[in-house]
Amino acid sequence: MLQWSDRSPQQWREFVNQEVCVTARDQQRFEGRVFTVDPVSASVVLVSFLEHECPSVKVILGHAVTDVQILASGTEETERRMKSLFLPDRTQVLSK
Amino acid sequence: SPRFIALCPTTLSSSSSGRADEEEQRLRSDLRERFLRTLLSMTDKQVEFNMHEKVRVRARFGASDIDVLNFQVSDLETPLGVQREALLRSQDVISCSFEL
Repeated sequence: MLQWSDRSPQQWREFVNQEVCVTARDQQRFEGRVFTVDPVSASVVLVSFLEHECPSVKVILGHAVTDVQILASGTEETERRMKSLFLPDRTQVLSK
Repeated sequence: SPRFIALCPTTLSSSSSGRADEEEQRLRSDLRERFLRTLLSMTDKQVEFNMHEKVRVRARFGASDIDVLNFQVSDLETPLGVQREALLRSQDVISCSFEL
């Protein structure tokens, strides 16, 4: 299998919005939902929604990623929730 | 920059069709925009950096360079005291986390 940082944007895109477990150097594991994979550094951005707590974000640097396993698929709702955390609301009314 | 080119090997080959190139470029820009927005929301937040040898340090995140080689942070809490301003090499960092 191709090294994580050598994969194509198409391959990274398939992980977006999926619940994954990222294994990094030193056998550290990180779980969360993929918001994006930076095409420059191959860094993975994971979001975790915890009840009654602020959403937490983890960035795992691309050079340290050894493996990414998909645990569960996302839905339109999870994609919408993640986007609302980071992206500006494109539907906002700018003039009356 | 040369570093950027070195870190961003293009997977676009001259033999592939223009349409596939366009699609790949669109995917790249979408993924990249999301990453840049993540960095934006990280700005001025308390971030925990998880480094090699299980070293964990906290600092206020400032910025990253375009090729994600260095992070500029403030009030870095090191085992030897607080460093007012610092640059962390991303090669020394495994992960970083913060709350929104």
